[in-house]
Amino acid sequence: MRPHPPAAVDSGPVIRLDRVTKLYKASTRPALDDVTVVVDKGEFVFFIGASGSGKSTFIRLLLKEEPPTRGQISVAGRDLAKLSRWKVPQLRRSIGCVFQDFRLLTNKTVAENVGFALEVIGKQQSTIKKVVPEVLDLVGLDGKANRMPHELSGGEQQRVALARAFVNRPLVLLADEPTGNLDPDTSIEIMRLLDRINRTGTTVVMATHDATIVNSMRRRVVELDNGRIVRDQARGIYG
Amino acid sequence: MRANYVLSGVTTGLRRNITMTVAMVLTTAISLALLGSGLLLFQKVNDMKEYFYFRVEVSIFLKKDITQQQRDGLRAELERDPLVQSLKYESKDEAYRRFREQFKDSPDLINNVRTNALPESFRVKLKDPAKYTLAAEKYVNAEGVDQVVDQRKILGKLFSIIGGIQTIAVVIAVVVLIASVLLIGNTIQVAAFNRRREIEIMKLVGASSWYVQLPFVLEAMVAGAIGAALAIGLLLAGKVAFVDGKLAALFSSGVIPTISYGDILGPSVAPLLLLIAVVLSAATAWVTLRFYVRV
Repeated sequence: MRPHPPAAVDSGPVIRLDRVTKLYKASTRPALDDVTVVVDKGEFVFFIGASGSGKSTFIRLLLKEEPPTRGQISVAGRDLAKLSRWKVPQLRRSIGCVFQDFRLLTNKTVAENVGFALEVIGKQQSTIKKVVPEVLDLVGLDGKANRMPHELSGGEQQRVALARAFVNRPLVLLADEPTGNLDPDTSIEIMRLLDRINRTGTTVVMATHDATIVNSMRRRVVELDNGRIVRDQARGIYG
Repeated sequence: MRANYVLSGVTTGLRRNITMTVAMVLTTAISLALLGSGLLLFQKVNDMKEYFYFRVEVSIFLKKDITQQQRDGLRAELERDPLVQSLKYESKDEAYRRFREQFKDSPDLINNVRTNALPESFRVKLKDPAKYTLAAEKYVNAEGVDQVVDQRKILGKLFSIIGGIQTIAVVIAVVVLIASVLLIGNTIQVAAFNRRREIEIMKLVGASSWYVQLPFVLEAMVAGAIGAALAIGLLLAGKVAFVDGKLAALFSSGVIPTISYGDILGPSVAPLLLLIAVVLSAATAWVTLRFYVRV
């Protein structure tokens, strides 16, 4: 396997969108409309806006699940337009992802779910055995390695998802409404965890419409409305 | 990379999707069995051609009013001819005896033919049976010759009938094979749909396409191999039931070459069917997944 490209340096943009427009075939209004934004290494950024404002499209584009209609995107120093299809998995290995619905494998234990992320990218069993408990410890799930996902609370399941996203030490962590299914107290715990992950140097991009969380964190806020950026504010509030 | 994950995927995939898998295995088996029959037929026809063409003769029938001098002259000429390998004279009596022998089951026919009605002939075996026309032209206008008949022409008709049967078998085999390819594609799609969550997560954490696709391709290959094994079983059963059973009399005469276990299991049938099944299912699965499980 090839080492990560030199984009993994301490500063400089991790995500760069240059005049990106995304039009879905079924709709006349663009999901993203002429968006230009740069996220630097180590940043914690909230993307806020109502449903349909373009937050999820933004995340799909970063994962190269689909191409933009216009404009240029680069993630971790890779120009996504020039990235051939067989190199897309390598891009995704440098991005960790969590979602509102956790997306865990229900027939696998907590440890297996986390280990799965390492297994599918060809890591040795010995490495997996060593790394998985460390990450479970980090997210506060030590002792629950052999539980099944349905035996866990929503907050715990999201921790498993976070462990899986982080176990590969990605450059960026994308979180799409990670607290959407959780009660306020549990949400705060998840935010603490995201903050902790951010402090290890991992860039965190979180799409949310939870005003309380945004206001309590006081981080950079990018607000989307109908696919356009209407505000980009350092240490912002939901507003 | 763990073989464990891949292999457990194959078996659970096949089990979860049992009705489709059975349909896919059966159509594969039937199409391959038909194809195998076609291959065996082809092989046997070639054997038969060799067998018969080696024995066929050119018959030079003589006129009723041929003189002894003409007969001797013709014989001398044939013996000198470089095209001729061997020569046999058949008198009217001999011809009648042979006729009686050949049609001993049809007494009516024998009773209607008078002892001297059949012409005398020279039976000529050519060094190269393909040079029949040359020989025919040479002797058809010779004095005392009535007509020249090449048995190859008669056999040709038989072989064209067998060839027709063979073509039909291969056409049916191909049609059923297309059906089984479509079924394989469909089964793989259903299998991929059943495991869409797992696939989605694999893609999310950066699994390479071949890692995602391999379990499905292996699944198809296993099913294809089972289908081929069944097809070979069907061919063997067919041999026992027909070649050794109901139609045994037809084969025992030695005119039609029999089909042995070696013919079915030999390199040009069983292993070929297995290879076709495995390669075709793998290719079908792979192509289906390229459309269905895009990274």
